[in-house]
Amino acid sequence: MGMLTFAVWQETFAPIWAQSLPEWLQSLLFQLYQTFIYQDRWKWFISGLKVTLIVTVCALALGVVIGILIAIVRSAHDSQRAGSRNPVLAVVDAVCRLYLTVIRGTPMMVQLLIMGFVIFIPKTETDMIVCGILALGINSGAYVAEIARSGIMSIGVGQMEAGRSLGLNYAQTMRYIIIPQAIKNILPALGNEMITLLKDTSLVSVIALRDVTKQAQNVVAVTYNAFVPYISLAAIYLVMVVLLSKLLGVFERRMRESDRR
Amino acid sequence: MIDVKDLHKAFGRHEVLKGINEHIAKGEKVVIIGASGSGKSTFLRCLNLLEHPTSGTIMFDGVDITDPKNDINKLRARMGMVFQQFNLFPHLSVRENIKLAPIKLGRMNESEADKRALELIERVGLPDKADAYPAQLSGGQQQRIAIARALAMNPEVMLFDEPTSALDPEMVGEVLQIMKELAEDGMTMVVVTHEMGFARSVATRVLFMDEGVIAEQNDPGEFFSNPQHPRLREFLSKVL
Repeated sequence: MGMLTFAVWQETFAPIWAQSLPEWLQSLLFQLYQTFIYQDRWKWFISGLKVTLIVTVCALALGVVIGILIAIVRSAHDSQRAGSRNPVLAVVDAVCRLYLTVIRGTPMMVQLLIMGFVIFIPKTETDMIVCGILALGINSGAYVAEIARSGIMSIGVGQMEAGRSLGLNYAQTMRYIIIPQAIKNILPALGNEMITLLKDTSLVSVIALRDVTKQAQNVVAVTYNAFVPYISLAAIYLVMVVLLSKLLGVFERRMRESDRR
Repeated sequence: MIDVKDLHKAFGRHEVLKGINEHIAKGEKVVIIGASGSGKSTFLRCLNLLEHPTSGTIMFDGVDITDPKNDINKLRARMGMVFQQFNLFPHLSVRENIKLAPIKLGRMNESEADKRALELIERVGLPDKADAYPAQLSGGQQQRIAIARALAMNPEVMLFDEPTSALDPEMVGEVLQIMKELAEDGMTMVVVTHEMGFARSVATRVLFMDEGVIAEQNDPGEFFSNPQHPRLREFLSKVL
């Protein structure tokens, strides 16, 4: 894989009209060519993007599931009346709190390293992706748990009492009355967490997962040129985050409409 | 129907109910009055176990509801409750508010529940509001829907916890009217309220609570014209 120099590019690849451009613009064109077109390097970015998206979507789903389960356990435990506490629930609650403390108390990067080199030690590409999803999902779950708990707590105690007074049990009241209202309240915070997670997937390169960040690094390694690959990388993340925010905005508006009519 | 024996309730060290004995028979309309902090709401909320008594027993139709072996959800389904703050479900339409419990508890199927909901919406005089959301209704309308929601489970007794206290004055009448009609239909009712006019005209019995006990009770005629307890005299002189 020989390195492409500016001189070679000018002679062999540059379009004729480019020769009349100022020097700096020619240099930029060369770098763009080198980053994306030469040896089909755009495919590197595309394959990296695939990994990034798969890890993001799966880790988000995992984080939301973990988060909501923990939030329900924690608020069920906290809403028990004194004197008749369920011992099983107390143990589960203690485990949940330990999880929150450990996950929120250690850096994401360290968690990835431990997951990738101590617990999991993935061999194949698929294993690595699963490993990355687990590490990020478990991390995100801790933050979603607290967001979801704040949502549950934001619903007045009267709603629970109204549900229970009709004869619904705790789980039914949660499912049909509290959670639907809580989700609407936590959407902005949840959106924030999703954006953070999307950007945090850039850390998976430390377990040798070839996401879009890793691929940009690979391009820099063969071109000895950081400017275009990294600025492009930033632009790629920016576009993804803007799209995600737009999507969340649409979703939020739809949820609000359903209760105005 | 409801038999309360030596009911005590303490929040931490603060004892709110200090030994209540009371029997409420089927068809009675019992109105509970008293100053704020006298324990009247706590007493009412103990009757469907929204508050757990510290000691004492509450028998409902021969079953001790304070016994954890008895399924409180089944018992609560037989008692309707109406709250001061209405507590309608804001994410559901009026119709869905009323249908939710009967459907989820397997009492009715979708079409039966829908029919029943429309009947009840008609009964509380809001036929054009079936598909409105709670936020679009006035306080009085919300409380009427809350009554309809409680009635959807066909309860044997209705508990009212200051149902008109959060309402603007011009809306109190419409809610009391629904309650009066309910009383005329023979519903057993326990009502905590400050509406003395309602107590006088609808109650079969009025209880006065003071410092966590029932200080005096009588039929409404005697209760208001010939109060015995000095605290009741003082209270009535302030509110009448």
